[in-house]
Amino acid sequence: MKTVVNEPLAKTFGWLRVNGTEVDAPENAKKLSLSLSENEERTVAVENAAQIEAVLAKGATLKLIQLRRGGNETLVSDIRVNCAEGARFEWYRVVLGGAASYDNCSVELAGDGSSFAAELGYRLGGKEKLDVNCEAIHLGKRTKSAIHSSGVLAGESFKLMRGTIDFRTGCSGSVGNETEDVLLLDDTVRNQSVPVILCAEEDVAGDHGATIGRLDEQLVYYLEARGIEHSYVYEMMAKAKLDAVIRKLPDEKLRRELLGEEEANELD
Amino acid sequence: MSGEKTIIEDVDRSFYDFRNEEKDAWKVKSGLTPEIVAQISDEKNDPDWMREFRLKSLEIFNRKEMPDWGPSIEGLDMDNIVTYVRPNTERMHTSWEDVPADIKDTFERLGIPQSERTSLAGVGAQYDSELVYHNVRAEVAAQGVVYTDIESALHGEYGDMIREHFMKLVPPSDHKFAALHGAVWSGGSFVYVPKGASVEIPLQSYFRLNSPGAGQFEHTLIIVDEGARLHFIEGCSAPKYNVANLHAGCVELFVGKNATLRYSTIENWSKNMYNLNTKRARVEEGGRIEWVSGSFGSHVSYLYPMSVLSGEGARSEFTGVTFAGKGQNLDTGCKVVHKAPRTSSYVNTRSISKSGGISTFRSAVVIDPGAEDSTSSVSCQSLMIDSASRSDTVPVMDVRTSRADVGHEAKIGRISDDAVFYLMSRGLSEEEARSLIVSGFAENVSKELPLEYAVEMNNLIRIEMKGAIG
Repeated sequence: MKTVVNEPLAKTFGWLRVNGTEVDAPENAKKLSLSLSENEERTVAVENAAQIEAVLAKGATLKLIQLRRGGNETLVSDIRVNCAEGARFEWYRVVLGGAASYDNCSVELAGDGSSFAAELGYRLGGKEKLDVNCEAIHLGKRTKSAIHSSGVLAGESFKLMRGTIDFRTGCSGSVGNETEDVLLLDDTVRNQSVPVILCAEEDVAGDHGATIGRLDEQLVYYLEARGIEHSYVYEMMAKAKLDAVIRKLPDEKLRRELLGEEEANELD
Repeated sequence: MSGEKTIIEDVDRSFYDFRNEEKDAWKVKSGLTPEIVAQISDEKNDPDWMREFRLKSLEIFNRKEMPDWGPSIEGLDMDNIVTYVRPNTERMHTSWEDVPADIKDTFERLGIPQSERTSLAGVGAQYDSELVYHNVRAEVAAQGVVYTDIESALHGEYGDMIREHFMKLVPPSDHKFAALHGAVWSGGSFVYVPKGASVEIPLQSYFRLNSPGAGQFEHTLIIVDEGARLHFIEGCSAPKYNVANLHAGCVELFVGKNATLRYSTIENWSKNMYNLNTKRARVEEGGRIEWVSGSFGSHVSYLYPMSVLSGEGARSEFTGVTFAGKGQNLDTGCKVVHKAPRTSSYVNTRSISKSGGISTFRSAVVIDPGAEDSTSSVSCQSLMIDSASRSDTVPVMDVRTSRADVGHEAKIGRISDDAVFYLMSRGLSEEEARSLIVSGFAENVSKELPLEYAVEMNNLIRIEMKGAIG
């Protein structure tokens, strides 16, 4: 049965077809209901699809690692988190390929001083598809959000990233930041980016920056001048983009596995 | 002009808000039926193709859904809109002395004849549904430049050119209000700048809607031929009524190879206006379109000038400022479609919201697969004056080739207390300090306008900032 997923908080022009995606939603998601008590800290790692509802009490911290290593399945994830005063949610999403991934992550920063950080890294090739909707809803005062996305597209892959920072009335002193960096390797890729800022509060600061396309020519020239072949320059930079996200994973075992022992040791 | 405006800075937009009694005007019944569309066609003495075009457009209008992604337009009831109002003059004039006194007085108060004498190469003035005045300087006409009302062009020697271009860039199937425009359009200007001609002084068309409950549907068609240059200015205003008025104009711009067109707009419709306007430009090889847009009026606006960069090396620049005050929901921005190699676009916008006003910046940048080595840069900044207001930024980038560089940055924030304090310590009141800061924030647009229009824009900001404190 077709279901509309990843509907953003704000719609835009219909002809761009980014106001949600209709998909055959399979029942392959791991379901989790998490309730973190006051000041509790927990790290949770899930692979493939997940449907997670989490409530974070005052001062609690939840670090959620969500990894996809590839595969031919269509995976639909839905993560919804509510943060009380001073609580923090960190979402680490790494997609190392996979036929089709649809990820929704919606975070309510309800309590004063609560925060949300999203780190999204991906590398897609062939006809792989990644469709993301990530929302930071600022309700409490002095709340913070940071949504960072970095990835590489090759072949005929497709990626749609919707990131929304939503400052609601009363969230004075809040700050939201979103960055996106996409490296495109082939002329047959398609990248869509929808970085939205919604603002109903005067005393806030929100910003967004995106860079989409090929590598900076000066950087390529610099590396080629040092004897590195053109194709390897792109391969090296593509790897660097994804590794930069992997290095931030709050799970040493997984980090070592994905980076390789040698590189992981360099970080220690 | 500035002397008069000193008066209106203390009152409620009376510079634009004066109204004339409707005398001897002729209008169709309110609503939208095939009979009304046919009646407009009769009134216009349309050629057969245009009559059919209108009726087909009406069918499309009836089939199309209302947009579901922007501000609410529930307050707009087409059954209550009068789609054609002919003012009390039988024809268009080329001398202000021949224009009926009340209409002439309207444009005098808006400063149009004065601007024509001092800083314009030609002027078109539309009152309700018809052009009442059109004139172009002899030296500009001597270059072969055609600047006339579109209906004269349709019935005259440029009829084939009009037919070839009319609603080809914005077809009635584009959206519901493009279809409405196709059905009931009336008035507007036609400009043709021949190959290599350069119009150094701007042309201006001014659109005034006086009739309560009426719609204005002017069509502007500009063709700038190879290597030619033009600056065209569009102004519009209306008095405020308690009933909804509608503006669903259409602007189609054809920019030829290595040609340059600057299209500037200072929009100051009254705050009962639904401004559902469509503007689009197609730019050929090496050509350049420059949009300069100031949106200050209207109750609701949907306005996204679009550039289709269809020739290699074509360029688009969009510079805009939107000021949403009490009772306004202004949804503005732009669209750029890169269809050819080495095309470039640059978008720089500012939006300001105060006293409960809602401002939305909405954009689309599409890089097609064939547009290799193209670049796009979008920068939008929003200023919130108070927490009763709202400011949203909804950009989309759709990149379909690896050989492109696309950048985007957006910022939302408030007026810095430090900056206000600094200016107040230099003797300005808080209101003056905030007004000065907002004017500076909107400088990206004012510096692109001819001086007279930059002054008008800054005056508008001062009007809007009245009462912004406390």
